[in-house]
Amino acid sequence: MLLIHCPYCDETLPELEFAHAGEAHVARPENPSAQSDAEWEEFLFIRRNVKGPHYERWRHTHGCGRFFNAVRDTVSDRFLATYPAGAPRPSLASLTGESE
Amino acid sequence: MSRFRVPGRGRVNPDRPVTFRFDGRPVQGCEGDTVASALLANGIHLMGRSFKYHRPRGAVAAGSEEPNALINTRRGPGRAEPNTRATMQEIWPGLEARPQNCWPRLSFDLGAVNDRAYMLFSAGFYYKTFMWPRSFWDKLYEPVIRAAAGLGVSPSEEDPDTYASRYLHTDVLVVGAGPAGLAAARTAAEAGLRVVLVDEHAEAGGTLLSEPQARIAGLPAWDWLTAELAALKALGVRVMTRTTAIGYYHQNMIGLCQRLTDHLAELPADTPRERMWRLRAARVVLAQGALEKPLVFDGNDRPGVMLAGAAQTYLHRFGVRVGDRPVILTSHDSAWHAAFDLQDAGAKVAAIVDTRAAPPAALAGEAQARGIRVLAGFTATATSGRLRVRSVRVHPVSAGTVGAGEEIACDCLLMSGGWTPSLHLFSHTKGSLAWDEDRTTFLPADTPEDCVIAGAGRGLWGIAATLADGAEKGAEVAASLGRGASAPALPVEGDRTGSGTSHTELATDRSPSRARAFVDFQNDVTAKDLRLAVREGMRSIEHVKRYTTNGMATDQGKMSNINGLNIAADALGRAQPKVGLTTFRPPYTPTSFGAFAGYHRGGHFEVTRRTAIDPLAEAAGAVFEPVGQWRRARYFPRPGEDMDTAVARECRATRTAIGMFDASTLGKIEVVGPDAVEFMNRMYTNPWTKLQPGRCRYGLLLGDDGFIRDDGVIGRLAHDRFHVTTTTGGAARVLNMMEDYLQTEWPELDVWLTSTTEQWSTIALNGPRVAELLRPLVEGVTLTEEAFPHMSVAECTVAGMPARLFRVSFTGETGFEVNVPAPMGPALWQRLAEAGAPLGLTPYGTEAMHVMRAEKGYIIVGQDTDGTVTPADAGLTWAVGKAKPDFVGKRGLARPDLTAPGRRQLVGLLTEDGTTLLEEGAQIVLDPAQPVPMKMVGHVTSAYRSEAAGRPIALALVEGGHGRMGETVHIPMPDRTIAATITGCVFHDPENTRLKLAAPGGDA
Amino acid sequence: MTPDLSAPGPLAESAAAKLSLAVPCARLSLRARGAAVAPLSAALGLTLPERIGTRASTAAGDTEALRLGPDEWVLHATPAALPGLLAACAALSPEHPHSAVDISGRELTLVLEGPRAAELLTLGMPRDPDSIAPGEGRRTLFDGVSVVLWREADTRFRMDIWHSFAPHLASLLATGCAELAAETA
Repeated sequence: MLLIHCPYCDETLPELEFAHAGEAHVARPENPSAQSDAEWEEFLFIRRNVKGPHYERWRHTHGCGRFFNAVRDTVSDRFLATYPAGAPRPSLASLTGESE
Repeated sequence: MSRFRVPGRGRVNPDRPVTFRFDGRPVQGCEGDTVASALLANGIHLMGRSFKYHRPRGAVAAGSEEPNALINTRRGPGRAEPNTRATMQEIWPGLEARPQNCWPRLSFDLGAVNDRAYMLFSAGFYYKTFMWPRSFWDKLYEPVIRAAAGLGVSPSEEDPDTYASRYLHTDVLVVGAGPAGLAAARTAAEAGLRVVLVDEHAEAGGTLLSEPQARIAGLPAWDWLTAELAALKALGVRVMTRTTAIGYYHQNMIGLCQRLTDHLAELPADTPRERMWRLRAARVVLAQGALEKPLVFDGNDRPGVMLAGAAQTYLHRFGVRVGDRPVILTSHDSAWHAAFDLQDAGAKVAAIVDTRAAPPAALAGEAQARGIRVLAGFTATATSGRLRVRSVRVHPVSAGTVGAGEEIACDCLLMSGGWTPSLHLFSHTKGSLAWDEDRTTFLPADTPEDCVIAGAGRGLWGIAATLADGAEKGAEVAASLGRGASAPALPVEGDRTGSGTSHTELATDRSPSRARAFVDFQNDVTAKDLRLAVREGMRSIEHVKRYTTNGMATDQGKMSNINGLNIAADALGRAQPKVGLTTFRPPYTPTSFGAFAGYHRGGHFEVTRRTAIDPLAEAAGAVFEPVGQWRRARYFPRPGEDMDTAVARECRATRTAIGMFDASTLGKIEVVGPDAVEFMNRMYTNPWTKLQPGRCRYGLLLGDDGFIRDDGVIGRLAHDRFHVTTTTGGAARVLNMMEDYLQTEWPELDVWLTSTTEQWSTIALNGPRVAELLRPLVEGVTLTEEAFPHMSVAECTVAGMPARLFRVSFTGETGFEVNVPAPMGPALWQRLAEAGAPLGLTPYGTEAMHVMRAEKGYIIVGQDTDGTVTPADAGLTWAVGKAKPDFVGKRGLARPDLTAPGRRQLVGLLTEDGTTLLEEGAQIVLDPAQPVPMKMVGHVTSAYRSEAAGRPIALALVEGGHGRMGETVHIPMPDRTIAATITGCVFHDPENTRLKLAAPGGDA
Repeated sequence: MTPDLSAPGPLAESAAAKLSLAVPCARLSLRARGAAVAPLSAALGLTLPERIGTRASTAAGDTEALRLGPDEWVLHATPAALPGLLAACAALSPEHPHSAVDISGRELTLVLEGPRAAELLTLGMPRDPDSIAPGEGRRTLFDGVSVVLWREADTRFRMDIWHSFAPHLASLLATGCAELAAETA
């Protein structure tokens, strides 16, 4: 069971309080109706399925209730960072240097 | 005193004899004995039969690594546990222990015929033999093999014991309470850290319990141990014995299984049998020690052949001499001490046989002083004895040549092939291993966890070295947590350090193909099997493991993996690190399902949510059904009624008078804020801007893929406040989905969502006389068609209770839903029941609700939809606001495959005979004469007997269904094929005339 | 062993811990952010606490607020105080956007107290009880169910539970009271 740092509560807590919510930084298009079928397919279905550091979303369901973003290494299952929804994605270089 | 008990030795209490039963006969041991030690004290070595060949076996070890001495322990009905290691089970008066894998009895077992057929049962035997013909597998091979195989027998009665679980958080967890663990715990605790120290044995001490000769800091080892445990207690260290660290999970989460009552004669009240601890430690010190390796030679599995270290443990910890005339067979110094100690305890050691040509002179000298014969540079090629070893055949080996043999008589053969660190938990961390050529074993290297290894677990040997290492690791861990600590130096006298050499199979003068040199005792894997596997093409150690089953028994290869690797590496002609070790997986030792289940069994198996009104339904004799986590009243049978009769009566009462239904489980979400209407417009397919406060609308929720996710009636209470209802099962999911869009896509909206599912008790009232019932009870709203038309909502009082009153219908009759604060629900239910009795009010359950809504063609999301149904498929296009620029799912609905012809569409089905009830889930075909496999064009989603329609009705999803009205389709069933006609979905009152509210005083 | 939750009072008691059902109170879910928070504080007569997990009370002591999330508080109040609180909030709309929802009927509160009350929580709570200081509170998980935990003192907690989950949790807590006491003995 992982430990996850909630960026809103500023606490590191057991995974059981959280729910995984898929890949991060997949923004819903501003005007979906203007999307081509291919673009909409990309938004709906295509995910990166990364081996290594993965930008993903979690929700502190049984805590503050907020969705937030995380970078987790899918090989080691370690979190490299968590940050609020809407915040810019941290660069991998900045994370792999100091992975605490 | 039992024949083999040594007076003055051991930690058992000779003044407290304990009688238990083994194999049907009473056996006497002492308080503090294990089953194995008590049996050995009585000269009993034969404790079980092996799994495959049913060979007689005795205890080969003294700890949890024991592969042979597996027993079934019993304590009355339901309290039975198979595969208990006799070496770990403590005895108590009345304990019933039975050997396994033998019939009719342990000393004479018919299954041992397998042993005679040894040449047949080689590696891969099952794969090769039972392959063909394919059809034989299910009917013949598999059942026969199953009957013959299997380890132990599980009890068939319900387990009357209780099990528990806890979470525990600590700074430092130390696994293993031997010298290294004790020292690490002490150092860390003195640095001010919270420390938990666990050990799987009944008492702490580890190897110290088997080495009373040592003196630590001037004290005899056992006195030092007593003082040390007292000091740990004073420091607040939580010392947990009989507690096995079964698995090492992510980020220092360790599963601990604590056995609380298996050693007790009387079961204390309120005490679970086992407790699973889910412990999280900032740092972990693994001090699990090392396991002794057996030597691999023909006949190394006879009862009486035992690890030398185990014999030491039996002697010193339990005061048991495992034999009168032992032979020691070793490649390591440590076994020499077993010889010396046994000789000192009254045994006559027949010989020390060392495979090394030149064992240490000091040891040889000590043997000579005791008059023990030493054979150096020798091998063993065979043993004899049917139920107990009688002799061992030994030969000098010179320059690789095995010389003339000599038979040495003995009553036990104590072997040591050296020691290998216990790497299991470390392996769970995905820790990497490094091959140590000197010790011919793997040692722990790097791990991603905050974990250190102390003592013999990293290849150190001797009490002084492990104590020092433990203290050092304790200090290291303390420092990493920002605490200063000093590792005290403890002088040790009488320490027994040593070294040895490692072997594959011992040299032999016989054909290796005939040798039964066991590597994995529990799965009966021999060295020959391993070499055969390599010869037959297995190259990966993982394949060798699976082909031979080496290391796959319940002991997880504790004694066999390293020997197996050495032999496989030799056969492959590759170095061990190139071959690699198989992965150890949790649990470390077999763990009961009860321990994993903990409290979650019986009535506490899972959460059962009940409404406030549930107790009244129960008192009324309702039959319940689970819906999501809820239990809901399904129907209210009267005496003598079955479900169909009760449901028909409930429907009839609702359609002719009044039905009352507990709808409290409906999900409810309060949507509040200035942007509430904008949010609703974006979430739901329907337009909300023009919905006036006081009015309701059916809302349809899609995913962005365009498929129906949920639905429900939504009331606008104020300009900035909506009362949203969802399906019972969808409540949490819908709120999560809404929060997701709100928080991450539209954070600019000033609107908030609050779950009010449980704020309200919701009572649905339906039927032509409902207004008669409610008018006298409702204040604040005029219940007329004009003042409060269908799809209205008002805040008012009902029977004096603050209420939100909805005029909605899920039955097609005039309908209301009264919401009152949840705790008031029962009072309202009772008040309505009383007031409604003269009007024919009848409570109905979910089954009647399902029937009546199906008669009206109202869908149930999740029953008539399955996550691939669009509003058009379900005939709900009218609920989609086409003028809105966007809503969740709008773009999805335009996907080519969602607009393509031939989609499965929701239709009604009427069986052509007018009487047959279809089965929900049944598949539909167009042409029943087509060959199998038929093309299935849809399935039945709902099917009920309907009095209102006068015949059974059904809803179904059928390809192009909306264009097939009046066509006949076919539903093949196991015994016949049913023909049905496609119809519309509404079977009752298609003009909705019955929704109208009768005028006050008017005729109902 | 499901305790009877129909009336306030003791449910289970042992030398280790005591479990009881609290007298019903008024409960309010309050949501707001940014500039709306200060006016709400003023209207409610308490300073809505800033850090998640911290609490504040009115001077009269009839209302207490616990911050649960970045824009979320739960308020416990005497039933008499509730109409005033709702009215005070309503008066701030629409200039100060917020959401105030009466959830008095949604939940009940169990009181856990006694020398081993904190350990009693470890039967079902994955997080470390020591991470919640006396005087603070959190929404967290107990035996798989979302609850709000108020730590009143080292050895006293209040646990807010949605009604339908309460029998399940109360049953486990009652089991725990007995189990912990048997362990002490």
